Amino acid sequence: MQYFLTQFANGVVFGGVYALIALGYTLIYGVLQFLNLAHGEVYMMGAFFGFFTMTTLGGPSMSILPVPLMILIMFLVAMGGSALLGIGIERFAYRPLRRSSRLAPLISALGVSLFLQSAALLLFSSRVRLYDSNLFLSVQSGITVFGVHIDTAEIMVVVGALLLMVILWFLVNRTNLGRAMRAVAVDQDAAVMNGIDVDRTVVWTFGIASALAGAAGVMSGLLMYPIDQYIGVFAGLKGFTAAVLGGIGSIPGAMLGGFLLGITEAMVTAYLNPTYSDFLAFFILVIVLLVRPRGLLGRPALVKV
Amino acid sequence: MKKHVVLGVSSLAALALMATGCAGSSSSSTSTEAAAETAAASAPASTAPECAGTIAVMAPLTGGAASIGQEQLNFAKLAVDDFNMANGSMYKIFESDTQLDAGQASTQSTAIASDNTIIGVVGPAGSQEVSAVGPTFKDAGIGYVSASATNPDLSNGANPGFFRVVPTDAVQGPTDADYIATTMGAKNVVVIEEKTDYGKGIAMSVSDALTAAGVKVTSIPVAESKKSYDDVIAKVADDTDVVFVTFQVAAKSQQVAQALQKAGKKAVVFGSDGSFSADFKTPGAYVSAFAPDINGIPAAASVAKAFTDKYGKFGTFGPPVYVATQAVMQAAQRACTTAGASADRAGVLAELPNTNIAGSILGGDIKFDAKGDVDGAKFYIFKIDDAGTAVTVQ
Repeated sequence: MQYFLTQFANGVVFGGVYALIALGYTLIYGVLQFLNLAHGEVYMMGAFFGFFTMTTLGGPSMSILPVPLMILIMFLVAMGGSALLGIGIERFAYRPLRRSSRLAPLISALGVSLFLQSAALLLFSSRVRLYDSNLFLSVQSGITVFGVHIDTAEIMVVVGALLLMVILWFLVNRTNLGRAMRAVAVDQDAAVMNGIDVDRTVVWTFGIASALAGAAGVMSGLLMYPIDQYIGVFAGLKGFTAAVLGGIGSIPGAMLGGFLLGITEAMVTAYLNPTYSDFLAFFILVIVLLVRPRGLLGRPALVKV
Repeated sequence: MKKHVVLGVSSLAALALMATGCAGSSSSSTSTEAAAETAAASAPASTAPECAGTIAVMAPLTGGAASIGQEQLNFAKLAVDDFNMANGSMYKIFESDTQLDAGQASTQSTAIASDNTIIGVVGPAGSQEVSAVGPTFKDAGIGYVSASATNPDLSNGANPGFFRVVPTDAVQGPTDADYIATTMGAKNVVVIEEKTDYGKGIAMSVSDALTAAGVKVTSIPVAESKKSYDDVIAKVADDTDVVFVTFQVAAKSQQVAQALQKAGKKAVVFGSDGSFSADFKTPGAYVSAFAPDINGIPAAASVAKAFTDKYGKFGTFGPPVYVATQAVMQAAQRACTTAGASADRAGVLAELPNTNIAGSILGGDIKFDAKGDVDGAKFYIFKIDDAGTAVTVQ
């Protein structure tokens, strides 16, 4: 039983990262019905922003600031940097194509993805980086639940992911900006006629989604995932899968999809063969989509008749 | 204003693309006289100024193993500089980035095969890459000398033209297993087998040797794409003494070591040669390497100094490339002086089996057996000290 709970906890932690990436996908898709295929690379850049903030502040073992403050600044810089990056991507790569065919922005997104990988290679070199978070967040710290030890970094990932989801849900459902986002999602022309600045709303959407990806990047670093210019490819694929699994466009669905994906991976590793964890995760996605094409919490699309 | 911003971003994009493209190839630069003396000592006696040609260096210049690839490339450059200075030849390097990826290596091999100025190849680095380039190089009649591919099956005859200056996993497995069973006294060992040609080969070799030594072995296969190992480590039993890892990216071995600490497990991580890098720095862990620390070898002193002065610190992946590059250039030089003309692929391929580098920087003579494997090479074992430095223990 303890083994099951340990693997379950591992899955929830993996899922927290997937869920945050999925939230970005789902937010942008929900508003623009557009798949931002460069979202994984924004996550990658967020991880680098967090890493270089940490090293600027003295590195993992010699921080010039108290550790909580250093981590807070890492998150703020990564989220802010990623938000600006996302806004830039929207402005120069997607906005000119907003009225084009659906294929054009997808191709543009692929180009942005490759551009960001190359830019990371040029800016940060090809060396693999580790946050070495065990030097400032002891693996012995944290809590023990039902005999399963969950360290501070893991708690931060899960609590942080849930907190950001709640904030995002509140923002979308309870603020003027959220109302504008929902209006743009339903009908951009009608939104304009009602006095909503569509461009500004879309900029906010990309900024928030990218900030979430930046947060996910720092979280994965704190979990000791290696950081290089290619980490966004697979992470983006997993995040996209989680978003589709939960029902793309649905905020709780993205969270649910992320956690389900993470737990599935951990359980496949635990009870089947770790080699097949990715394969089975995607296989389950295919099955879910065959049975329930709109995802677990997705709503059926309204079709004008 | 709007036009300026667009123009600025476009220019940045163009610059970035140009810079990426320019990273693809370059020629070598000059080196020191001290290092040249070492090269001259092991080079053929004849001097033929007209001897020239391009040698492709296939290495992971970018990607997860880039730190290794860059070290390998720099040692190749040093070898070329030293050899040219000592022999008056004009060999140069073509940089070929494989990213330690079989598909990328295959693509690069096609480009190399179609370039007739390339007379021989140093590399590729990974065993899976050698498998991928083998058919192309066989058809093109190219000789290639790897300085880090250790899968024993590579020299079974399927890859004519393949040579290597490092021992195979058939040597590494028993060496590591003997140390784990005898010196460390381990009774229970978990082998984390990454599903690559390299990972499968070394996992099988070490598992067989450990089992033969009476050690209980549990194998956990993992995909190369795996990013976190907490769930894998949860499968490691508490009474496990050693976790043997078969990654080609040392940061993954570091992850495993930290995941073990986090889970409160006492097992010590023992990495195969793919883990030999500064990224694997957990005190108390072990790692094996196919080459010694050349800083302790008198014959390598001048090369080590020349490299350090020019490029900085180095590990164990670079020095064998120096020797592999020497082997290709010596073969070219013999072919050139024999034929009285510039060396070509056929000449290099014909001369590679006759390689004889006396007093190499790896601490012994380098000759190839009939299969293309190096004669009498052995593996070395290092322990990581409290400062994160690998110290030779065997």
